[in-house]
Amino acid sequence: MQGNQQQAYDRGITIFSPDGRLYQVEYAREAVKRGSASLGIRTADGVVLAADRQTRSPLIEEESIEKIHEVDEHVGIASAGHVADARQLVDFARRQAQVEQLRYEEQIGIETLAKRTTDHIQQYTQTGGARPFGVALLLGGIENGEPRLFEADPSGTPYEWKAVAIGGGREDIQKHLEDEYDPEMDLAGGITLALEALAAADEDIEPDSVHLATVDTETEEFDTLSTEELEEYAAEADLGGEDDE
Amino acid sequence: MSKDPIHDIQDPYEPELGSFDDVAEQDSDAVNKTGTTTVGIATENGVVIGTDRRASLGGRFVSNKNVTKVEQIHPTAALTLVGSVGGAQSFIRTLRSEANLYESRRGHPMSIHALATLAGNFARGGPFIAINPILGGVDEEGSHVYSIDPAGGVMQDDYTVTGSGMQLAHGALEGEYDESLSLEEATSLAARAVQAATERDTGSGNGFVTATITEDGVEIDKYDDVTELL
Repeated sequence: MQGNQQQAYDRGITIFSPDGRLYQVEYAREAVKRGSASLGIRTADGVVLAADRQTRSPLIEEESIEKIHEVDEHVGIASAGHVADARQLVDFARRQAQVEQLRYEEQIGIETLAKRTTDHIQQYTQTGGARPFGVALLLGGIENGEPRLFEADPSGTPYEWKAVAIGGGREDIQKHLEDEYDPEMDLAGGITLALEALAAADEDIEPDSVHLATVDTETEEFDTLSTEELEEYAAEADLGGEDDE
Repeated sequence: MSKDPIHDIQDPYEPELGSFDDVAEQDSDAVNKTGTTTVGIATENGVVIGTDRRASLGGRFVSNKNVTKVEQIHPTAALTLVGSVGGAQSFIRTLRSEANLYESRRGHPMSIHALATLAGNFARGGPFIAINPILGGVDEEGSHVYSIDPAGGVMQDDYTVTGSGMQLAHGALEGEYDESLSLEEATSLAARAVQAATERDTGSGNGFVTATITEDGVEIDKYDDVTELL
């Protein structure tokens, strides 16, 4: 009986259950948890976005697993959940960034970009025939010389964070971030914390399966770290890698 | 645009509200024009805009002697009405609503460069026909004066003039501008430039209006006689 009732309310995206829930949106959140983790950390010197690229097979080209995307020179997106859904939202965000240039000849603000994107996501929770996005995003970048970090979840609610994790293993990573986050740390400290936090959820994580990018407050530029650079950070923090038996 | 119930990407060249549908060609002799001399001067402390107050039909009949040809469109920016009165008024309303929406959504006002870019896009793609306004404003970067031409050209300068009295007013301004002018000196210079034009340009006359724009806002003053300020 309970089961039947629930089924009736989770068929249509636009239908509330009697207790006020939108099951399809909640299922979309479950889809996010099934994805490997991503995290974002805001430091005084910039924003760090990091993702765990889980590989199904050693034969896959790791570069083809897209979890962190440059949106415009000064802003990037990390995702967790359905990669294909993330690609649609990333392209939406990229076009929004260029619309801002065409309309105002200015770089889009991170808050504006985050809210435009979440407004777009929200429409997929209220439109007949649509399905919500099975992905959560972290939007990080520099706005007026200040690092900003926003989360967009499948309901289309924007949240601003100092440091946050999304996706599978989120609880362990978030706990680590909450324990270790220091608002005074520099970008290098943010990178180290990102690697440690990912390791908190997955002890065997290797630097070559981490995708990490930064947006520096000084240069206001999105920059992806190479595996060699990540290995140096990991060695310094005594994490993973071959030298850790 | 699209019938898709999900709003996708905003057209960068269209207003948020309403659309730029084609307007019919009008009988140009029946259209009120400002003729006009409008002057914008940027100083360290703010921007002074000066205009005359005459509207005319076909440049031969004075249809109004008390037009305020500069209006506030943003907390710290104003735009002049130059060209077709209807086009200019609609242009001002459109930009003002855009500036209001931008500020209420984002919690801070548009920069003057963004406002000038938007104005250029609208002048280029919109139905405002023959308008040639001056945009003056103050933001975190300082004081700015732009002229916007009917094809959407946006040009920034320390001082600029648009309208039928343009050449006469430029003659009075050339060599007199200095970036260290006080607001009072700039107001007096704008008055001299508009005065020079109203003496000989049939499209300009009937007094003087100033907009003084500082980081605190926009103040508009009217004068029946330009000579009050000389």
